[in-house]
Amino acid sequence: MKAADERADVLVIGAGASGAAVAWKLAGAGISVVCLEQGDWVDARAYPHWQADWELHRSTDWSPEPNVRRLAQDYPVNDQASVISPLMYNAVGGSTIHWSAHFPRFRPSDFRVRSLDGVADDWPIDYATLEPYFDLNDQMMGVAGITGDPAYPPKSPRQTPPIPLDTLGLTIAGGFDRLGWHWWPSDSAILTRDYDGRRACVNCGPCDLGCPIGAKASTDITYWPKALASGARLVTRARVREITLGPDGLADGVVYYDGEGREHAQKARAVVLAANGIGTPRLLLNSRSTRFPEGLANHSGLVGRNLMFHPYAMARGVFDKPLGGHRGPIGCSIISQEFYETDLSRGFVRGYSFQVARGLSPIASANGGSVGDRVPWGREHRRAYAERFDRTITVAVIGEDLPEPENRVDLDPTLTDSNGIPAPRVSYRLSENSRRMLDHGLARAREVLQAAGAHDVAFNPLLRAGGWHLMGTARMGRDPATSVVDGEGRCHDVPNLYIVDGSVMVTSAGVNPTSTIQAVALHVADGMIRRRR
Amino acid sequence: MTRDLLASVLETLVPPGEGFPESGALALDHVLAMADAPAEAGALLSQALEAIEEAARDGDVSEDLLRRVERSHPEAFDALVRHTYDGFYTHPATITRLGLEPGPVQPRGHRIESAPFPDLGRVAGRGPIFRRA
Repeated sequence: MKAADERADVLVIGAGASGAAVAWKLAGAGISVVCLEQGDWVDARAYPHWQADWELHRSTDWSPEPNVRRLAQDYPVNDQASVISPLMYNAVGGSTIHWSAHFPRFRPSDFRVRSLDGVADDWPIDYATLEPYFDLNDQMMGVAGITGDPAYPPKSPRQTPPIPLDTLGLTIAGGFDRLGWHWWPSDSAILTRDYDGRRACVNCGPCDLGCPIGAKASTDITYWPKALASGARLVTRARVREITLGPDGLADGVVYYDGEGREHAQKARAVVLAANGIGTPRLLLNSRSTRFPEGLANHSGLVGRNLMFHPYAMARGVFDKPLGGHRGPIGCSIISQEFYETDLSRGFVRGYSFQVARGLSPIASANGGSVGDRVPWGREHRRAYAERFDRTITVAVIGEDLPEPENRVDLDPTLTDSNGIPAPRVSYRLSENSRRMLDHGLARAREVLQAAGAHDVAFNPLLRAGGWHLMGTARMGRDPATSVVDGEGRCHDVPNLYIVDGSVMVTSAGVNPTSTIQAVALHVADGMIRRRR
Repeated sequence: MTRDLLASVLETLVPPGEGFPESGALALDHVLAMADAPAEAGALLSQALEAIEEAARDGDVSEDLLRRVERSHPEAFDALVRHTYDGFYTHPATITRLGLEPGPVQPRGHRIESAPFPDLGRVAGRGPIFRRA
């Protein structure tokens, strides 16, 4: 085994949304930071947008599912016991490479679920604590939007104006207006004007395949250049096998494999895990020792438990006019939080958001998009395709997923990655509360689509390939018996081991989590800096 | 399977007409390439083509014949339809007929005509809809 030359102040594992933010913040404070990332930099010229067959790549080498993509830097995930497939991307930038950059924040009530609604647990931190980090993160990522949304406390000015709604967005907004429901242009981490050395979006469409011009925020182009300029060191194609402990019981570094399979050791005074809600528990469970026979920092037995996705249900309406849905960022149009807060008369606790995406590209139209009802082949094909292409609006219901210990990540007894490291196994079922929530959302989605003019509405009651958000598997809390990390991201059992990715989230809220994950990461980094002084 | 027979299959799946080009010509190369792919999809696709070839010994391909194969080999037939759609709806001739500009989406992107932003006053006028915690 090769030992690295220097002991770093802080070793960060994972260069995605949260790892990049932490590395930037710490390096800017003069702390020596080394980050190990199992993927590599994505070359802007490698994105499929430069090829005529770009759409084909969505189901092959640019699939969000690692089990489909199967690139060298990916690890397999056994998801046979899960009704939702986990999605992720392994590269500098992590899953911000292929996210759609929908960028809402959690709301104040999301941090007080136990106090307000008697379910799950309160977070040990609150919205007010995170607010300055939300603002800082918005500046770093660059957010298009407009202030004044009554669904949130007042926010700082957005960095650029909102993404244009175009015909599709205006059509569905009309539906919300007719019903008197809340809607607002999405906060999106996509620039509509040049900002911070980055170009504005040219509305090419498939943000889910990455952004080759840097208009969409991914941390390889936002945080990392600044982190590196501040002295952080980033090692790519470095897959961590385990976190090691010193004789004092503190984390003292990691063992990792380089791209050629050679084993290395990297020592550090503190270790930060930023490997996502599946990769982080996997690594902790793979880091067993006599001191931690059930996995590192797992005296609570909660590492890997309480896995939360956001269950998505999809409703698609067909309209009798072209909607121009191929123009503009695919995932970002408008959001509605009309049914976000708890109203027990609806038959469930907590709530959900509606997200309205753009239209479907040619192949996706043929295959039914996220609703999955493929256009029939044969004599009916031409007519059925013509009825749908560029004439559909899809409304996604994104429900708050409450934590349940049975929903979990553990280690597969036989499956391994290319380095022989045990792979994660995901067990997840949809709760009754979530089912009722999604059913309520689909019924309301039908109403809004019809109010907007849709003449035919179809549903997908649960999107299987919808596990974008990986949360809860090393939850934050004050009590070491019921949580893995404290309110500043420190593991109760190993106080110089920190976790900053979605694993620490106590609850999932009913919105996309990246903005909040990054705000938490910046908050944790600030605590590390403060304690070092 | 011969190219002619496969072309007949593809044109039965996605019939030409209404100004759309013939799928037999447009999707053929893609489907053949996918049938040769080493992954599971390639094996499934080959299975579908073999089943159709067996069923169409006299050389005639009809919708009824394909529906029988779809019933007897649902997973393999699903792969055939998917790859046919992939090939057909990626081809520049199809893209053009759909009214879109064929080719890469970068660097050209798409132009969105500027339009007045809708009045958000009604929505904002409701006042806060979040719970203070």
